[in-house]
Amino acid sequence: MANRTDTPASRGRFLRLGVAGAGAVTLGSVLAAGAPRLGLSGTSQARDVEILNYALVLEELTAAFYRRALVRAGLSGELHDFAQVAAGHEREHVALLRKALGPNARKVPRFAFGKAVSNPQQFAATAIALEELAVAAYNGQAGNVSKPVLKAAAGIVSVDARHAAWIRAIQDKRPASQATDVAKTRRQVLREVDRTGFVRS
Amino acid sequence: MHLDLDQLDRDGALRETAAGVPRETRKDFLLGTLAGGGAALAALVLAEPGRAASKTDVEILNYALTLEYLQAAFYTEAERRGALRTHVARETTRVLGAVERAHVRALRDALGSAAVAKPFFDFGGVTENENAFIKTAVAFEDLGTAAYKGQAYRIDSPALLAAAVSIHSVEARHAAWIRYLAGAPPASSAFDEPKSMPEVRRLVASTGFIVQRPSTQSQEAPRFTG
Repeated sequence: MANRTDTPASRGRFLRLGVAGAGAVTLGSVLAAGAPRLGLSGTSQARDVEILNYALVLEELTAAFYRRALVRAGLSGELHDFAQVAAGHEREHVALLRKALGPNARKVPRFAFGKAVSNPQQFAATAIALEELAVAAYNGQAGNVSKPVLKAAAGIVSVDARHAAWIRAIQDKRPASQATDVAKTRRQVLREVDRTGFVRS
Repeated sequence: MHLDLDQLDRDGALRETAAGVPRETRKDFLLGTLAGGGAALAALVLAEPGRAASKTDVEILNYALTLEYLQAAFYTEAERRGALRTHVARETTRVLGAVERAHVRALRDALGSAAVAKPFFDFGGVTENENAFIKTAVAFEDLGTAAYKGQAYRIDSPALLAAAVSIHSVEARHAAWIRYLAGAPPASSAFDEPKSMPEVRRLVASTGFIVQRPSTQSQEAPRFTG
């Protein structure tokens, strides 16, 4: 049961999307490079900053993905409507996290999506994987953040869960068949992101 | 992939839930639940060994249980009455009914003797009216999402918090799904708002669905007339 924390859908997708080639960097190194020098190590504030930056980079990734897909993936109909609405939401998530972090927000990484934004089918598969990953990432941090951050994050995660259900429904995949959603650790999430090769700097 | 159902499902809640899921999705449901959801629900424990649960946690769990009773009863009644014929309504009752019943079982198990009793419900024909049913289901799932969101930061026990957030996002999926099937926007805002306990209680009370006593709605003549 090595895969028990991965939904079958998200895991398979990420493995197939394994396009990491020349130029790909690990998200962990990106986060480490952007780590704020606060001298607050060990305090709940330092932990909040670290986790908010982790959430920020996931939201930046998703926002950039929708932005590029709207230009390049040849989306129409329901998929286009979904991408447009989700792009707007992810942009707002990024803005909120940046505002919360203030000067502690790390800079926007460079992304390359390659084949993932080349056609509607690849787009949909990647969108499902990214939204599922975001939900699992937020759920995995609920117990690690302060109460005010938990309150704010709870307002974001359910919208990402709605996106996940929405795009699954469009793709005729059951949007919610489990009684609970999985939570993933930061390590698990970073590994999955790294496998995609989407993060370039 | 070998799954040991008995080991993962000691109290039989998952097996019972799966039994209520239609044949074509049963295998999917079992695999999905046991691979992910089952583990989290089985871990829904109120108190850590040797430590009593906080008063707040018991209050929140019972509050969640009441909402889950309401949702589960709603979908179960709709399924049993069988009056809803559209794909939307049938999908909703089948899948969501099974999931909400699993939430009820898990919360009851976690609460043990501290669990509130199941209230009596009277849905006043809503479970037999296509349009009203969908509208109510959307309202219930949006409300469930907002209710869990409103409590997450108040929870003391880390294990309970983990279980609550894992249910919270499932309620949001349900809301998006029914909205999609009903032709409504599945995600109409970038942020979902929480609702406080008094707000939710007021909204639930305003539906009139929770009643003091079971009402008699049977149109049949009594079998025994003395």
